[in-house]
Amino acid sequence: MGAGLFDSVESIQKELADLDYICDVNIATVVFLARRLEKPVLIEGPAGVGKTELAKVVATATRSQLIRLQCYEGLDEAKALYEWEYSKQLLYTQILKERFSEVMSGAKTVREAAERVGREDSVFFSENFLVPRPLMKAITADTPALLLIDEVDKGDPEFEALLLEVLSDFQVTVPEIGTIRAVKRPLVFLTSNNSREMSDALKRRCLHLFIDFPSEALEIRILEAKVPEAGKKLSADLVRMMQALRKLDLKKTPSISETLDWARALLALNAEELDRDVVRRTLNVILKYEGDVRKAEGELDKLLAERVDDQRSGAGAAATSSAQRAGKDARHQA
Amino acid sequence: MQNRILEFTNILRRAGIRVSTAEALDAFRALEVLSIDDREVFRDALGATMVKRAADVSIFNELFDLFWSGFYHSLRESFDQASAGLPERMDYEALLRQIAELLQAPEGEFPALSDLARAMLTGDLGQLESLIRSAAEGAGIERIENFLQVGFFSRRTLEGLGAERAAGELRELSDRLRAAGMSPDESEALSSLIDRLMDAIRNSVRNFTEREIQQRNHDYMEKFRQETLLEKSFYHLTEDEVRKMREVVERLAQKIKNILTIRRKRMKRGKLDLHQTLRRNMSHGGIPFEMIWKHRKKDRPKLVILCDVSSSVANVSRFMLQFCYSLQEAFTKIRSFIFVAELGEVTHLFKDAEISDSIERALQGGGVVNVYTRSNFGNAFYAFTQNYLAAVDKKTTVLVLGDARNNYNDPKAWCLREIHSKAKNVIWLNPENPSAWGFGDSVMNRYTPFVEVAEECRNLRQLSNLIDGLILR
Repeated sequence: MGAGLFDSVESIQKELADLDYICDVNIATVVFLARRLEKPVLIEGPAGVGKTELAKVVATATRSQLIRLQCYEGLDEAKALYEWEYSKQLLYTQILKERFSEVMSGAKTVREAAERVGREDSVFFSENFLVPRPLMKAITADTPALLLIDEVDKGDPEFEALLLEVLSDFQVTVPEIGTIRAVKRPLVFLTSNNSREMSDALKRRCLHLFIDFPSEALEIRILEAKVPEAGKKLSADLVRMMQALRKLDLKKTPSISETLDWARALLALNAEELDRDVVRRTLNVILKYEGDVRKAEGELDKLLAERVDDQRSGAGAAATSSAQRAGKDARHQA
Repeated sequence: MQNRILEFTNILRRAGIRVSTAEALDAFRALEVLSIDDREVFRDALGATMVKRAADVSIFNELFDLFWSGFYHSLRESFDQASAGLPERMDYEALLRQIAELLQAPEGEFPALSDLARAMLTGDLGQLESLIRSAAEGAGIERIENFLQVGFFSRRTLEGLGAERAAGELRELSDRLRAAGMSPDESEALSSLIDRLMDAIRNSVRNFTEREIQQRNHDYMEKFRQETLLEKSFYHLTEDEVRKMREVVERLAQKIKNILTIRRKRMKRGKLDLHQTLRRNMSHGGIPFEMIWKHRKKDRPKLVILCDVSSSVANVSRFMLQFCYSLQEAFTKIRSFIFVAELGEVTHLFKDAEISDSIERALQGGGVVNVYTRSNFGNAFYAFTQNYLAAVDKKTTVLVLGDARNNYNDPKAWCLREIHSKAKNVIWLNPENPSAWGFGDSVMNRYTPFVEVAEECRNLRQLSNLIDGLILR
């Protein structure tokens, strides 16, 4: 099992990197703590920095079954936790009617009949009629599981209250049956885009992880891991451009997922380097608002000029040829 | 260590970060399973367990640096500086050996000296730090409240440390060394080293005290400033404050949004709708399996905003527009008009660009009005009734923002009456105090008959109360 390898912060960083998820010490530390302290993790940060991805990768790395619950307005107990199948229960009652009269035959008094029925009543209040939903599944799973509660901020405050019992004690109370406890505590990841401040009660039960936009070096490593065909030079240029774009006052700041999309788009267009024309044509891959695109176009010359200056400073030429070679190698392998 | 973490927890709490006991316990558990040698891991572990709001992360980092390492670092710096002044040919190690001989003690231990003098001489900074810390605690450092007290607490800490005694001991030591036949320039160097060491310790203590107050009162000023911003009159905002204000507006809007979702939730529950329930459950043989509830319907208001953007009320208009557009989802439709002497629509400005940016542009006239004229309310209302009256219907709330200082023009109150007759209601927010209405060139009293509510709105708190109370409820 992979669990043995997951026993220090460095090994987590390495394990995740093997799965092409490059992260800093902060993320690895929190993942480590989540496993050791058996506490849920609330992950916050701007859209597209890899919050959901982290949960998926950790699930793969720990060989856990990923159980995902997507939150939305109006999500309730019946869809998140469990549903009681009244109709099935009714149906069973109908079918078993005759067996019941057999059970009751020979009973002399009403009391005796009632007692006999009483002995059988666990048939009707059993897990047979319980349809498990993600939360219940995660708790009752007997193999290692990772529960991902995605975009928890989209859910209602009531739903949050429901989560409290699950997250603190890993147990669920079903009125018809009783309390169901987790056999094996699942790892829980909650993600939030911060469209709403979560309640303190929920936060107290979780470890907190804030994933921000990555630093330039980290982003280059991410890009190289995810889109190796891009080659060193294009990656570096692209990332520098993205970092500069994030400094502009945009309505929607482009994130890592946009960087990756952009790299793929440029590769599809066979662009070897970033020039004015290519950038202008592909800006709509990274910027999702007309106003943002216009603003970026206005700054384009400045953004590109910085890059050219860097190239002139000397290291550019050598880096270019080796990057191209590296890029070609990667393509051969693919 | 435990005490240090508890102290750190207290400091976080003082800075406005809510850390519960359970969370502090989590931090302890986290440190049990982690090695704390790696500073970054240590910080992340504390952060993950104790800091749960993204907004608090930067404060936490700042305080962490102040609390956990900063002092040791600066201590090292000042002591390195002090000992760097020794002439090169002088061997400090040899000097220490000489001193040991003189005091007839095993090397590295000087039982005859006080703890402080010994730590200073051997450069044991860890020991020094803990000495300073406990002396400061003895001086009651936790009571420090402002920067004026830095001198007082530094002095008391130095007294507690026994700095004077240590200095005396060191001087005496150098005298005995000279008597034992040290060369004059070496002993000269030694005594100047002692002076520098004493300076270093004095500076370090002062530095420590300053750090304490920074840690303890972090965010105090920040909170104070935000509170005052809420209350401060729009007339007196500086440019810097206007920028800060944006965040405050954002936060208030967020608060109202949260309240609104709760209210909408309550709306869903209502009385049992007997009629509908019976009808729906016909298929179950009349047994009511599904309940249908009567919903109390509540219209989301439509809003038409008429903003005076002449320089006298520009700030009010700015924050009001910002507020309303931050609350976008609370309204089905907002249309905004700005006026000085002419009137023009600026709704389209907000469609694409960032809100606060477009508001700034609107306040410059937005390309539709000339802002360098004198206000003429009559003319503006007349233009509105002529061109945009169709924008007003029975669900529309018309919000007028202006000081009604009409520069002795014709108020044309009948235009407002016409708007009033078509709208759900008309609300007038005036940044002036009601006692000034109707005096001088103010024509507020001519307009008040045709508005449901005329209120004074001079600061952000009033504005948010008004919007919540009048329009959304």
